Amino acid sequence: MSLIFRSNRLFTLGVQLAKSNLIPNKQFSISHRLAQLKFTNQHEWVKVNGNIGTIGITDYAQDKLGEVVYLELPEVGAEFEQSSQFATLESVKAVSECYIPVSGKVVEVNEPLKDNPSTVNSSPLEEGWLAKVELTNPAEIDKLMDQNQYEEFLKSDDH
Amino acid sequence: MSKLVRVLNVGRLEYDKCLKIQQHFLAQNLSQPDSNTLILVEHEPVYTIGLRKQTYPDEYLEKLKNLGAQVKKTDRGGLITFHGPGQLVAYPLLNLKNFKPSLRWYVSRLEETVIDLCQVNFDLKAYRMCSTGYTGVWCNDAKIAAIGIYAKRLVTYHGLSLNCDVDLKWFSNIVPCGITDKSVSSLSKIMNKKLGIKQIEPMLLNSFSRVFDCDLEIENEEQVQNLVNKLAG
Repeated sequence: MSLIFRSNRLFTLGVQLAKSNLIPNKQFSISHRLAQLKFTNQHEWVKVNGNIGTIGITDYAQDKLGEVVYLELPEVGAEFEQSSQFATLESVKAVSECYIPVSGKVVEVNEPLKDNPSTVNSSPLEEGWLAKVELTNPAEIDKLMDQNQYEEFLKSDDH
Repeated sequence: MSKLVRVLNVGRLEYDKCLKIQQHFLAQNLSQPDSNTLILVEHEPVYTIGLRKQTYPDEYLEKLKNLGAQVKKTDRGGLITFHGPGQLVAYPLLNLKNFKPSLRWYVSRLEETVIDLCQVNFDLKAYRMCSTGYTGVWCNDAKIAAIGIYAKRLVTYHGLSLNCDVDLKWFSNIVPCGITDKSVSSLSKIMNKKLGIKQIEPMLLNSFSRVFDCDLEIENEEQVQNLVNKLAG
């Protein structure tokens, strides 16, 4: 089923981009589309590549937390439903929960982060990633915010 | 409209019983967003450990129990500390969405509450130390208040403890908050006069209300007792 889902997207995307003349290389644009960055209103992000989502917290979140001094990451193999707590971060004297943006099974966690937890602050969207999951419900991605929507959300009063 | 925080002064209450009360209000705050509550309590002697429990081996914790205190593992931030008679403990159960959705801001406001208390009532210069690991409130290079909190979807629990006239010898059995090169003090020791919890409580409430820009509604004794019996009896 996922193959059909992907090939539909490829077809639609290819047609759109061919018309726009913006990105001539269809191959590049497809992988760009598949490696999409999405956000939740709890300030987590997920970068989806194929069926794997890399997850972390946003720059806004790390700023509001303060310097991370300790973290608890999930076990590889653990499964989570969307929005459930999957990790815990301790910043100075304050522990807070991280909620998973998409349902999935953990395939990798960022082990080096345990020795350098402040990487979450210095590089929240790159080296400070927390875990990678194999998506169990890829359709959930569509309901998350893209970068523009997230930036609008931050400007609103509701965050 | 000003934010309202309900104050429950539970008096002297053992740690676990008070934790049940905290958990009740935590749950309430998660389902009814405007249920901000501030619990004031004086605990029976207890050493508590934060999230990083692996820092403390079991033999070490057994030794502490033999000194006549309970030992409790918690999920709050921070390392090991002591709570006991003569120390005012405050547990704000706040929904930070009603205030400012930032833990860093919240921790600094807790510090500011104590700093304000010292300034306004005693003309005492208490201060925060901004480097990591030195959170809390300091005076004359000694720590007078410790902080350790947990936030679930921006709803806080655990809180702060302020040394009024607590017996400081309890702290000599631990490395408080993991800080090896500083000592612990109390308001009584610094001011060189007895300043008990009863005197400090109204001062703390005053400063809290000012620093958090909120109104306080103090629950009467009978209602508090009913609540304690119901939740922690």
